[in-house]
Formats: sequence, structure tokens, C-alpha cells
Amino acid sequence: MKKFLALLKVSAKAMLLTSSGVGAGKRRRAVSGVGAVVLIAFLGLYLSGMYSFLLVSALAPVGMESLVLVFMGLVALFGGLMFTVFAVREVLFGGKDNDLMLSLPVPASFLVASRMGAIYLESLVFSFFVLLPAGAACFFLSGGRYGWDLWLRLLLAALALPALDTALSVLLGAGLAFLSSKVSKGKALGQNLAMALFLLVVFWLSFNLNSTIENLAAHAAGIKASMTWAAPLLWMADGVLGSWGMLLAFIACCAVPFALVVLVVGKAYRKAVTAFQTRAARSDYKLSAQSAAGQTKALLRKEAKRFFGTPVYFWNAGLGLIFLLILGVAAVAKRGELQAMLPLLGGQWAGAALAGAAMGFCLSMAVVCAPSVSLEGRCLWILRTAPVGEGTLLGVKVGFQLLLTLPCALVATACLSWALALPLWQGGLLLLAMAAFCVASACFGMMMGLTFPKLDAANEALVIKQSMAVTLAMFVPLGALVLAGLAYWLGGLASPEMALVLPAALLVVLAALCWLWLARRGKVLLRRL
Amino acid sequence: MLNIKHYSKTYPGGHKAVDDLSLHVLPGEIYGFIGHNGAGKTTTLRAVAGVLDFTQGHIRIAGHDIQAEPVAAKKVTAFLPDNPDLYEFMKGIDFLNFIADLYDIPADQRTRDIGAYADAFELTGNLGSPIGSYSHGMRQKLALISAFIRRPKLLVLDEPFVGLDPAAAYVLKELLAQLCQAGGAVFFSTHVLEVAEKLCHKIAIIKRGRLVKCGPTQQVVGDSDLESVFLELEGERA
Repeated sequence: MKKFLALLKVSAKAMLLTSSGVGAGKRRRAVSGVGAVVLIAFLGLYLSGMYSFLLVSALAPVGMESLVLVFMGLVALFGGLMFTVFAVREVLFGGKDNDLMLSLPVPASFLVASRMGAIYLESLVFSFFVLLPAGAACFFLSGGRYGWDLWLRLLLAALALPALDTALSVLLGAGLAFLSSKVSKGKALGQNLAMALFLLVVFWLSFNLNSTIENLAAHAAGIKASMTWAAPLLWMADGVLGSWGMLLAFIACCAVPFALVVLVVGKAYRKAVTAFQTRAARSDYKLSAQSAAGQTKALLRKEAKRFFGTPVYFWNAGLGLIFLLILGVAAVAKRGELQAMLPLLGGQWAGAALAGAAMGFCLSMAVVCAPSVSLEGRCLWILRTAPVGEGTLLGVKVGFQLLLTLPCALVATACLSWALALPLWQGGLLLLAMAAFCVASACFGMMMGLTFPKLDAANEALVIKQSMAVTLAMFVPLGALVLAGLAYWLGGLASPEMALVLPAALLVVLAALCWLWLARRGKVLLRRL
Repeated sequence: MLNIKHYSKTYPGGHKAVDDLSLHVLPGEIYGFIGHNGAGKTTTLRAVAGVLDFTQGHIRIAGHDIQAEPVAAKKVTAFLPDNPDLYEFMKGIDFLNFIADLYDIPADQRTRDIGAYADAFELTGNLGSPIGSYSHGMRQKLALISAFIRRPKLLVLDEPFVGLDPAAAYVLKELLAQLCQAGGAVFFSTHVLEVAEKLCHKIAIIKRGRLVKCGPTQQVVGDSDLESVFLELEGERA
């Protein structure tokens, strides 16, 4: 047990703490990890808090509030899967400390359990803060039907659910990694195809879940009866709301798969690690005439190779851009319906503002710059010793994000402007606002990457998915969108034109401020790494 | 070629890693830098390479101050850390071209030099494979090739012989000698005292951040051998 706890401590520390070398005090390192956890918790709390109370107030009168726990359980399960499945290969099989760990006199299943424990802890944060508001809504809005023991049962359920999530995540993640290695001999393209397939399945399930929720109030009893496929979550809901037997069945249903996965993966662990890592260098290369490129082109090409060649990076940072393009294409396809909806939304002005908000939401997910400094990791010496100015190094990283985001923003803006039949000036203003948002996000992300570096992460997934830099680079721009919304409301008090001009102006000012911040402090922070 | 004057480095927390170090490496010289673990060798080499910030002293490479004109100084320098980490997502040839692009090396020159150095280190056939598939020694060789294709005026190496097989170590010694014959200079750290004694024109011994002895190898060694001198100095000032 001592050995397992020691291994778990190492895995959890690797996940939570940053290490930036010189200049990072203990307090800042701890804050970095805890901050990321707090933000994941906030996301769970926000999502669940918003819907749980609404749904319970609609369902409690017909005695079907348990459905809210079922749905929030599903949200926690799918959210947890989305957070962790892409990282399984890196966290479980791709650790840079594999050689050390596998040479220790510790059973492989201990190592698997400790690494799965780190994944469990991440899921736990999210699922706990998703289930908490659902339980609170049931407790407070059901007219005193449930006693204080609900909280104890809720806690037990919240502790058990991530175990099931982790087991599913490991099975899916390992399966994806295995499939991708078969598809194209382990190349990134194979992994990307496998992950695209997985996302399609997730979207299909999500859309079906959405339609289920829409019919909730009218057919609550029928829906509950038809959800036999989610039996464990039904047991969880009934267990939390009073049945200890159901709760125990649910806990067993979570703990047993977790233990089985630990045992099965533990047995084949050494073989799996070897299969995923072993790549023999070929020896048949014939040198031909090489071509030269400039410094900037070489640096941009390097960023592109890393981005498109690292599936966890591509899918984490590129998903928002894919959503953005889908949004634009969907708007064009549904142009008629959108225009019919415009009067309900508040007219063309509101349509333009909503289009901006939706695009901004997608763009805020495109966090390319923020992890790029940490991804340099121990290779940072290559750039630091190269005869390239620090400004150029930072400019290339920011420029690469803009090369990805600006064209997507342009396409989406053009599609949405056409679909909403916006006048030219409104379309132009929307484009200006989105371009400014892109610049602000990129510069801010770069600053976060420099402020919260994680140069010695055990694997890339830790940097890309769980670092403070990425979390802040994603959520702070969302905050800027809220500010823009406030500016829209304030501008609307003056005139409809001001309602659009004011948020656009605000985003331009924010872009200028972020750019100035990066220009003044970026080089200093890079030098300190 | 390399002029270090009164260089000191204190890490956050107050630990003084290097204290008032002055050295002068002339063109055509191979300068060995030896000392026990934690003596301040890597701290000095990293400062010379422009990786490490410092507040006391000056370091000039071919007349360029590493802090005031870092780009110009780095342009004529090639630095390899001990155990160099390289981009695993790149192929060997892509990495060499990446470095060549950063140093503005023309296409024909890089083709010629990559061919020559890769042949010398017997790595040409492996250049089409991802670096992630390379062994430790192959990575070391690739890093060395990337340093030599820059045709540096100053080559700064931290423990360059670690991980190399005997044939590659021999090739490296030959190439270092050639570089110096062409007017370049080499400043490197090593724990292999026999190599330092045979290869270096000058030697500096550092202990707890302070330079305890430096000068032409024969002068430093005298009638004894480098190992005895080193151990004697270690004992004397412990």
C-alpha cells in the first residue's frame, strides 16, 4: 500500500505541479496546479448549476427529480470521458519516466493503478462539482422530501462515478491508441482518424441526449423507463435519493470495472508500453539535395509539425476551429430557418451579436499558443541558443495561432453574415471584432504560456490538457466575451448601432492591450525560463 | 574568440554557482574545462551559450557581448548541452534542415556538410527516421552533426563524449582538431581526464565556482598527469 501511495503521489504531482526552473517559487507552483483544478471545478459547477435547479423545479412536482441526477451523471460521465480519453495514451503508456518506473520492484498493476488514479482524480473534480448542484437542487426544491443523509449518499456516489469514468476512459483510450497504431503504423494521421471517429460517436450520443432532454417535462416517466441502457446511473439516482441497496449496487458497478481494468491492463502493461513506444530507426535513407528556407518559415514549419503531428494537441486546440467551421457551414445550410428565427431573437442586430458570441466561444477553445512554450520542454535549449531574437520566437508562436484562427474566423464570419443577411458594415464590424478577439486570445495565451510554464511535464497531455496556462487561456477570453456582451447591452441603451460598435471597440482595445503586454513582458519572461 | 571576464552567477536562493571567473579562449585552441560535479561548469557553459541570464561580469564571443548582442554572438557559436534533448516529432534530416535554416546556411553548403558529417558519424542511413526512434548515441551524433554544419567559430560542448561509441569519439576528436586548424575554437567540459590531457591545448580547473588553475595543458600538468593534479587540487582546497 505504501508503494502504491508513493506512486500515486508522483502521478498526482506530475499532473498538478508546474516546474519552470529558475524563478518559480513554491507558492506559484502550487497555485498553478490548484488553479487549474479550481477552473475545472468551476466549469462543472457552472454547467450543472445552471440546469439542475431549472430541471428539478420542473420535475419535482411530478416526483421525477431523480432524472436530474441521471442526466447530470451522464454529463459527468461524458464530460469526464472528453477530458481524459485523449490523454490516456500519454498518461498511462507514454510517460517519460516509464523506464525508471518499470525498473522498480513494484508490480505493474500498482503502476497502472497509480496512473489510473491520477486520471480518476481529474474526473473526480469534474463529476463532484457536476453532481453537487444536482443533489443540492433535489434537497432544496423537493419540499423537504429528503433528509440530511442525502449528502452522505451523494458524496459516496460522487466518489464512485469517476471510477467507472476512468475505467471506460482507459478502455476507450487504449483501444483508440491500439487502432491508430494499426491504421497507419502509429503515425499521427491514424490517431487523428481514430479520434475523429470517436468524436462522431460522441456527437451522435450528445445530440440524442439533447432531444431526450427537450421532451423531458412531458414524458418524464416514459423517459426514465426507456433509459435501461443507463441502468447504473438510474441506480445512482435512486441510491442518492434514499435506497442504500441501489447505491451499493452502483458503487459495485463502478469499482468492479475499475479493478478489472487495473488487473487486465496491469497484466499486459509491459507489453503495451513496449508496443506503443518501440520504433526502430530505419537505415535506408539516401541523402539528396536539400533546400533552404528562412528562419521564420523554419520556425513556423516546426510549430505546424508539432501541432498536426501530436493528436492530443491537435484535437484539444483544433476542436474549437472545427466547431467554428461547422457553425459557418451549418448557418449557410440553415439560412432560411435562421432568417425566420431572427425576429424571435430580437432582429438582425441581436443576430449579429449572437453570431459573434458563438464564434468567440469556438475561438476561445483554440488554445494553440499557451501550451507551446511548455511543449518545448527540455528542447528549449535549441531555440535559446539559436541566433534568433526573442521577439521573433514569440512572434512565430503567436503568428502560428493566428494562421489557424484568422482564416477560420473569416470563413465563419462570411458564412454567418450571408446566412443572417447582415449589411456589409455589420459583417465588416463582426469580422473586425473576431479578428481582434483572435489577436487578443493569441497574445494572452502566449503570456499565460510564459507565466505558467511546465517544462518538465511527464507527458504532453499534462501540458496540453491540464496546465494552468491552457485553462486560463481558455477561460479568460470567455470572460472577455461576457464583457463584450455587457458592452452590447450598454451600447444598446444608446442606439442599435452602438450596440455593435461598442463590443467591437472593446475587443480591439483588449487586443491592443494584450499585444502591448506581450511586447513589453514577453521577452523578459522567455529569458527567465 | 571567447573572453569571459569576472563572470559570477548566483541562483535565486543565494547559491553562488560561479564566482568571479575569467578565461580567454583564443582562435585555434581547444580549451578543456574540468571540475567535480556541481563545480559550476555547466552554469558557465550555459551562460556562454546565451541560455542562462547573469548579472555580474561580461562574456564576449568573437567580439560580441552575449547579453548585449545575443543574436550576433549565437550566430558564430554552436552549443551542445550534456544529454541534448531533440525534437522527437522530427526526422533526423528535418532537424538538421531546421538548424540550417535558423543559421541561414545555403542549400548547397548544407547538403555537402550534412553528407560529410553524417557519413563521418555513420548516421546518413538513419536520417530519414523520426528522432523518437533514435538511440541515445544516435541522438548525440545528430546533435554533433547539427553543431558542425553551422561551421561555428566557437564550439561549446558540455560532456560531448558521453554516450558515444569509441569510433564516434575518435571521429569527434578528429573533427575538433580540424575545426581548430581552420581557426575555430572549442570550449568543452569533461570528466574524462585522459581525453582532456591529450586533446586540449589549455585546461581550466574549477572548484566550487572558483577557478583554481588554468593555462596550457603542459604547464598545468607539469611532470605529473592531469588526474593527479586534479585530485591534488581537490584535496588541497576541500
